[in-house]
Amino acid sequence: MSETTPTSETDRTTTEEPDRETTEEPNQTTTEEPNQTTTAESTEADDSTNATTHTTTGEADERVREEWREYEFAGKPKFAVEDLDVHYGDDHALQGVSIEIPENSVTALIGPSGCGKSTFLRCLNRMNDRIKGARVDGSVRIDGREIYQDGVNLVELRKRVGMVFQSPNPFPKSIRENVAYGPAKHGDIETGLLARLLGRSDEAARDRLVEECLRDAALWEEVNDRLEDNALGLSGGQQQRLCIARCLSVDPEVILMDEPASALDPIATARIEDLIEQLSEEYTVVIVTHNMQQAARISDQTAVFLTGGELVEYGDTDQVFEDPRSERVEDYITGKFG
Amino acid sequence: MAGATRTPLIREDASRPEAVAGLAIAVAVALIAVGIASLFGLVGIDATLGGGSGMTAIGGVTTVTALGGLLVALGAAVIGLGVGSALGYVETEPSPNAGLVATVAFAGVWFVLGGLAASVAFDGVLAWLPAGAATGGAAFVTAAATREDVGSTLPAGAVAVVIGGTFLTGTIGPSWVWDLGFEQQASLTATFVVPAATIGCGLLAGWAAAKAYGGFGARGRRMGAYLLIYVNASAIIGVLFLLIAFTAVRGIPGLLTGATVAPGAGPTVSVLGVSVALPVSVPFVMNGVSLLNDFQGVLPAIVGTVWLVVGAVVFAVPLGVGAAVFLTEYAERGRLTQAVEIATNGLWSTPSIVFGLFGFTFLVPRFGGTKSLLSGMLTLGFMLLPLVLITSREALLAVPDEYRDASAALGVSKWHTIRSVVVPAALPGVVTGVILGVGRIAGETAPILLTMTGGTFVSGDRAADVIGGFAFTAQPPFVTNPELLRATTALPFQLYALITAGVGLGDNVSNPTEFQWATAFVLLLVVLSFYAVGIGARYYFRRRLRHE
Ligand SMILES: Nc1ncnc2c1ncn2[C@@H]1O[C@H](COP(=O)(O)OP(=O)(O)O)[C@@H](O)[C@H]1O
Ligand SMILES: [Mg+2]
Repeated sequence: MSETTPTSETDRTTTEEPDRETTEEPNQTTTEEPNQTTTAESTEADDSTNATTHTTTGEADERVREEWREYEFAGKPKFAVEDLDVHYGDDHALQGVSIEIPENSVTALIGPSGCGKSTFLRCLNRMNDRIKGARVDGSVRIDGREIYQDGVNLVELRKRVGMVFQSPNPFPKSIRENVAYGPAKHGDIETGLLARLLGRSDEAARDRLVEECLRDAALWEEVNDRLEDNALGLSGGQQQRLCIARCLSVDPEVILMDEPASALDPIATARIEDLIEQLSEEYTVVIVTHNMQQAARISDQTAVFLTGGELVEYGDTDQVFEDPRSERVEDYITGKFG
Repeated sequence: MAGATRTPLIREDASRPEAVAGLAIAVAVALIAVGIASLFGLVGIDATLGGGSGMTAIGGVTTVTALGGLLVALGAAVIGLGVGSALGYVETEPSPNAGLVATVAFAGVWFVLGGLAASVAFDGVLAWLPAGAATGGAAFVTAAATREDVGSTLPAGAVAVVIGGTFLTGTIGPSWVWDLGFEQQASLTATFVVPAATIGCGLLAGWAAAKAYGGFGARGRRMGAYLLIYVNASAIIGVLFLLIAFTAVRGIPGLLTGATVAPGAGPTVSVLGVSVALPVSVPFVMNGVSLLNDFQGVLPAIVGTVWLVVGAVVFAVPLGVGAAVFLTEYAERGRLTQAVEIATNGLWSTPSIVFGLFGFTFLVPRFGGTKSLLSGMLTLGFMLLPLVLITSREALLAVPDEYRDASAALGVSKWHTIRSVVVPAALPGVVTGVILGVGRIAGETAPILLTMTGGTFVSGDRAADVIGGFAFTAQPPFVTNPELLRATTALPFQLYALITAGVGLGDNVSNPTEFQWATAFVLLLVVLSFYAVGIGARYYFRRRLRHE
């Protein structure tokens, strides 16, 4: 708590460069929200940190320290992100995020709404390219290979880094077609009319793949007798597991999940959580969640983003939840704001 | 404050007044229906009930008189319901007054009524103004100053009583005419006035009766609104069916002229080398026109119309959908897309004769210099294009971005995504556009007049045989089809030619009027069957997209 530094009114509107040394602490980053109120609500600042100002949402102002984001892990990093900045037009959505994500584990991204979790996730498979006005600066490496450079094959990248979205979005097609969609479009299985005429139809291979993916997504038992039915007839939880199966069908290495259970009831959520734990044995899972208990339950390490698009704390999940190093993270986790 | 709008939680049994009100509503609706039927000439207002129609119960009463009697009874019932409620015989929850809209409407109706009565009674005198003002003012005061139960029933019921009275007493009889005194011949005859007035009174009195049925107040107003909405909706549907029935009744005799059902009676068709003689013969749709025919028909025109529509659709749909895909999925939203949007909207509202002229000066010289089926197809295709483009664009824009995101996240390329996800999801919308467009072009006369049609009558053996007309040659262009390059005919054109020119009527067609109506009816059937195909296709695509 003693590290928190009071900020004056005058430099409130400027955003400090991450590498600018403003205090006695080296490598200290200071980032402030330009739109926050200036009144220090000292009555609410309960303890000795009278100097700490609070935002309207009750969020304390403090300087982010580099060592809060240091996380040592054994094994190779799957992703190595360095100084990632994302702008949407003039809106600075992510500020200098650096993080390394270990292989075959579950990494949870938590933080209040609008703090850039989804934006960060979309940087990992370059889905931000699809958003007009989005600009990404910095470096993201997957297995040591930079994905923000010319000549990156987006098809291959997105095959390796699959994504499951917040609201279940199966195609308005049959369950089977949904799962087989990716491989069919990549030409891995051919079941078209021409293939059938030429006697090269991979229907058996396709059915095997569909079954395997649906089994991996823990959906096979529920739908194996109605693979021809339209996927939109499934329940929300089933649809989301179908989306996971669809994602698995292109044999990814990483699965990005953006609040995959936020639209689901508790039972469906529990099934998805079980599924994520199983998937982490084979895949690297990065999951955004609003639900802190969920993050605590399923993840190996947790990254906390806070308002303004900065990564404030990153570490082992138990450590982040039991002994957060940042005051703001503690406030967020204990539900003081967010 | 909350107590001010309190109404009983459980309504007391009020079955007797409700039965009266329900009966009044039924009478009002029946009157409106009779009014509409009689506007279409299905019920003659001077017909004697029980005379020709075989009903002997009420002998010698003309329709006008019967309508008048019913109107008076209806009006009296409505007034009775209102007054009964005001005197407390009936349990109701009326509002303090009838409401602004009803008040103004009543004042307007009574102003017109009073004014008309005065101007008919004192011809040429400026008496209508004070008379109208007096009656209108009285209605206004009645509706505004009394409680809702009286305010909304008395003026309405009185209208029905007064108008019914004029019918009943013969003031307005079957042969009543009001000469408007314009320089041109213009007069209001009973054939129009009686049904129109009946419909108006039925609406007013029915609305008031529906309010009484609901016990006035909020529930009554809701009932009144329901009645108006339902009557309106059914009247629209009813009029549509009447239009079709009207054409059918007039067209069917001509259509069935000379039709026979007997084994081997029909023409021989050969399918895959097997020749079968059809067991039905309907000369009107199986023959052309020629001197030797026993019965004349419109087969070439039917074939021409079908090929025209098929050709236009085949030409316009791929182009329109392709352009829509480019505009929505690839082009940057900006000047270009806006300009294209404005241009397509403008093109869709361009008069068809302009398209006809374009076809005449641009297409006809390029396809052999004579009018031809192909020019007609392309001209109509150009007409169809903007609508297909507009509706396809809307349909593509309505496809949720989640589908595109999901596909992109699987690494699927944009083109594959469009082909396999976006366009299939948009197909029902595209088909809707094509259905609407086909409805327009199938009945279009002006463009094909300039680009496609030859003589008025084409003999049956000259019906365009587009499929059989394809021939393959060794030289470029390798495929030729003389059938496409020959002038032919189409149903709307044939109808037009029959009506305007009367070409060869005496010789070829024994009963021209019947022939015309039958042609119109066949045109209607052809368009409706295109609709049926389109709606079936849309249903199929929707079924594939949804899970029901
Ligand atoms: N497509 C977009 N266009 C413009 N701004 C966006 C877009 N997506 C997100 N943002 C902005 O970026 C910031 C972070 O958003 P997001 O990453 O969705 O937050 P989170 O997922 O943590 O709730 C927000 O301020 C939001 O307004
Ligand atoms: Mg989000």
